[in-house]
Amino acid sequence: MDELDLLKKDWNKQQGNYPKLTFDQIYKMIWKRSHSIVKWIFYISLIELLAGTIINIIFSGDEYWQDIEKNGLSEIITGLYVVSYAITFYFIYRFYRNYKRISTTDDASTLMKNILKTRRTVKYYIAYVLISTGVVVVGGLTYMILNHSPTDVDDVSKYTFETLDWLKFIGVTAFVLTVLLGLIWLFYRLLYGILLRRLKKNYIELKKLEV
Amino acid sequence: MEKELEHQFVSNLERDQNIVHKICRIYTNDQASHNDLFQEITIQLWKAYPKFRGEAKFSTWMYRVALNTAITLYRKKKRGIQTQDYDSVHFRIKVDEYDDETEQQLSLMYNAVKELNDIDKALVFLYLEDKNYKEISETMGISEVNARVKMNRVKTKLKKNIKSVSVWMN
Repeated sequence: MDELDLLKKDWNKQQGNYPKLTFDQIYKMIWKRSHSIVKWIFYISLIELLAGTIINIIFSGDEYWQDIEKNGLSEIITGLYVVSYAITFYFIYRFYRNYKRISTTDDASTLMKNILKTRRTVKYYIAYVLISTGVVVVGGLTYMILNHSPTDVDDVSKYTFETLDWLKFIGVTAFVLTVLLGLIWLFYRLLYGILLRRLKKNYIELKKLEV
Repeated sequence: MEKELEHQFVSNLERDQNIVHKICRIYTNDQASHNDLFQEITIQLWKAYPKFRGEAKFSTWMYRVALNTAITLYRKKKRGIQTQDYDSVHFRIKVDEYDDETEQQLSLMYNAVKELNDIDKALVFLYLEDKNYKEISETMGISEVNARVKMNRVKTKLKKNIKSVSVWMN
């Protein structure tokens, strides 16, 4: 007899070999808390989606606004805020829609695809936050350098940069910015990797050979 | 109404619980993990139950949600001590009519199944449960051709694993 036939035969003989849970034991289980990765993904994504907004709120204190108004930038900054909130809400909406689509009654492939898609939305959002932060910081610094008003300080010569100072300044800024954004990205990749490594592996395995 | 639904669901699951236990046996290595996975599958089944409209048999409907939970949703807990409560010995009960050689062969088979990846395990499980290729392709969300090819590869892989172990043992 073929090994697999033997296995199948034995498999069917094992019916009595399984634990037998009672009605009450099962009843208790349905109220327990789920530990599924979908739940984790939901919470972590929510935190990530809100992180951008929280950072914005922390940095936009009264002083910050006074500075902006003094420089006549309030319109541009308000515009930037409106755009960035619109983008954030768009991401949250997309995330919510994808999340709602996740259903355990789908076939395995569709389920995995939907989970990965939901997570990808958040990935794009993080990329957007990092890139826009970089752009805003660089833009802000450039503006500051080009427009710093000499009237604020007594001795202008102290604040005048030589070429070497410029290079140093740009170098340091670029370095700090890269390290900071890089760390955020690394942390994010780690979280993402731990959560979805197995799922991704299984999805690739499942889709292998599919035309 | 809600109470009635609960009662109906739990009775159904109590009757067909073997399906879930079988999946737990294939995907976990010790009793504690088995219980964990069983619980998670129960929760997921209950959450999905309102969508069950009786279009199929309850047991047929269970396969999909239960396998999805085992392959995709369940996150294995890290355990301090890796115990293998039911490896080849306890994984199954001995059947009297088999001779020693058959018993040995079977325990090799079961161990080989344990070594497979998550997807291959699902395929073997569906094969052992006598599902046809149409059902397998619908449960896994792949084409029937792919299901066939994959199944043949798993079977070959299993046989090869057993051969290499038994050659090494003799």
